Amino acid sequence: MTQPAYGIMAEFKTPEALTEAVRAAKHAGFTRIDAFSPFPLPGIAKELGIRTSTVPWIAFVAGLIGAAIQYGSQYWMNAVDYPLNVGGRPLHSWPAFIPASLIVAILWAGAATLIGLLLILRLPRLHHPVFAVPGFERASEDRFFLCILHDDPKFDNAAIREFLGVLSPMAVSEVPACE
Amino acid sequence: MSSDAHAAMSPIADIPLSHHFGWAWWLAFLAAGGLVALLAYTLISVTIIGVGVWGVNIPYVWGLDLINYAWWIGIANGASLFAAILVLRRHDLRTAVNRFAEGVALFAVICAGIFPIFHLGRPWLFYWTFPYPATFEVWPQFRSTLTWDFWAISTHVIVTSLLWYVGLIPDLATLRDRARRPIVQRIYGVLALGWRGSVRHWAFHQRAYRLVAILVLPLILIMQSTVAFEFAVTLVPDWHETRQPLHFVATGLAQGLSIVLLVAVLLRWGLRLGRYIDEGDIDLLGKLVLASALVSGYLYVDEIVAAFLSGGLAQEATFARMTGEYAGLYWTAIVYSVLFPQLLWFRNARLSTLAGVFIGVSIGVGIWFDRFSIIVGGLQVDHLPSSGRSYSPTLPETGLFLGTIGLFAALLLLFVRFLPVVSMFETRHDEHEEKFS
Repeated sequence: MTQPAYGIMAEFKTPEALTEAVRAAKHAGFTRIDAFSPFPLPGIAKELGIRTSTVPWIAFVAGLIGAAIQYGSQYWMNAVDYPLNVGGRPLHSWPAFIPASLIVAILWAGAATLIGLLLILRLPRLHHPVFAVPGFERASEDRFFLCILHDDPKFDNAAIREFLGVLSPMAVSEVPACE
Repeated sequence: MSSDAHAAMSPIADIPLSHHFGWAWWLAFLAAGGLVALLAYTLISVTIIGVGVWGVNIPYVWGLDLINYAWWIGIANGASLFAAILVLRRHDLRTAVNRFAEGVALFAVICAGIFPIFHLGRPWLFYWTFPYPATFEVWPQFRSTLTWDFWAISTHVIVTSLLWYVGLIPDLATLRDRARRPIVQRIYGVLALGWRGSVRHWAFHQRAYRLVAILVLPLILIMQSTVAFEFAVTLVPDWHETRQPLHFVATGLAQGLSIVLLVAVLLRWGLRLGRYIDEGDIDLLGKLVLASALVSGYLYVDEIVAAFLSGGLAQEATFARMTGEYAGLYWTAIVYSVLFPQLLWFRNARLSTLAGVFIGVSIGVGIWFDRFSIIVGGLQVDHLPSSGRSYSPTLPETGLFLGTIGLFAALLLLFVRFLPVVSMFETRHDEHEEKFS
């Protein structure tokens, strides 16, 4: 093999078979594993130790920043930079500044979460090695894939093929690297 | 599940991928397109000539433009609230209804946004509501409810459209993978952003989606209350009421649900999606609409009781709205939004397409009259002796209203034609669960 592969991919018919395969791969000591499925499989995500707790933090911090900026700018504009006496009402009318601050907090939190999601997932990425696997287009419909990545310390082409073969997949194929 | 699921998903995915649109779609789209042309005409005429083409004048400065604004916002908020609750409760109904409920919300808020901008009179200066360092060194007045509205509408548009799009990404990937024509593959491929269904991606996707759905809940309540505050903070006797936000939130929810019901029965019938939006879903939706209509009914009773308890000018103003020149609007609102939906007590009515269309439209019409009654009827009694004028909308105003209905219908028609109206990945998930439970 002159060209290093991206990984070895096995195709399964059911999510149960994929879950079994992921368990077996972890048991065999593989650490760089990815799985692909047409719908969320929280069980496998847990198995692979995927932690999503950054997401609420993004929302929380962005929301706080948004609220602070909105409240601060309302205060500065209406009480400091352009004080306008409207019938003797207080310039720093904090209750009137609350609704827009809450709304803008939600704007920042929502936009940051969804845009942050794309950054975390490194999307958009229109081209990816896994798309070269024959039949991978059904990963968005009814097929389940397990991929052992080339940077796994235990990566060895023949051994992995043998290991995956035992799990009775529908197909095993090598994923060629992009460059 | 493999070949089953493959076949099962076909009907939803086949709709956007087919080149045959069908004569009914073209006919509907032509009609909607005609109304969009009318919208363009009325918007251009009001921009060139000015708001004088509308029937608004002191004291009736908030005519059909604000009535329609409040009405569309109600639909947008009601539909959004409903979609968010379904996602949070992980209710089975969400699979069937969530996607297009979010679509209804998004299209309604686009229609709503048109009115306040053109209501400004000089719509090309609408960006003045945004605080930017202007050469004349003036900032917006944040103590006014009208500036809150700017943030509310823009936030609703941005957050709803992002949420809707992010929810669509996995389904766009399915369309990309199923499409046969290269150009179609390419378009869906770009829109899907290279989604490859990695389990790690799914985990983050679901977490973020649910989190933003939670954020939508307070947004809707604040936004609808902001609309109500625009009335409540004025000194107009009939509007200056603490019950105003509750009235707008609750009747808005009824209205949003009724439009979701209307679209659901039409999709079921028009796209033959009976398997995905099943009888149980429609039955449940009917019950929800009925419950929300009962809450509206409670609020109308509350309005009358509150008027009896108040007294003075406030009481006089509310009674003038119920019995005066514009009393017809008030009672029409009650008949259409509270009495007609009582049909939904019957199971046959809940399951019938015709009854669904009738009640969906009926609540929409009822709440429209309610907003009309509040905005115009509420101004008859004021602290100043009335000038004795009355308000009736002119043709350009009516055209604007019909035009936004056309725009809403056109957007909805394009949506059902080019995107999956029912979440495919959720359906796959549900079918799998059912099979193994």
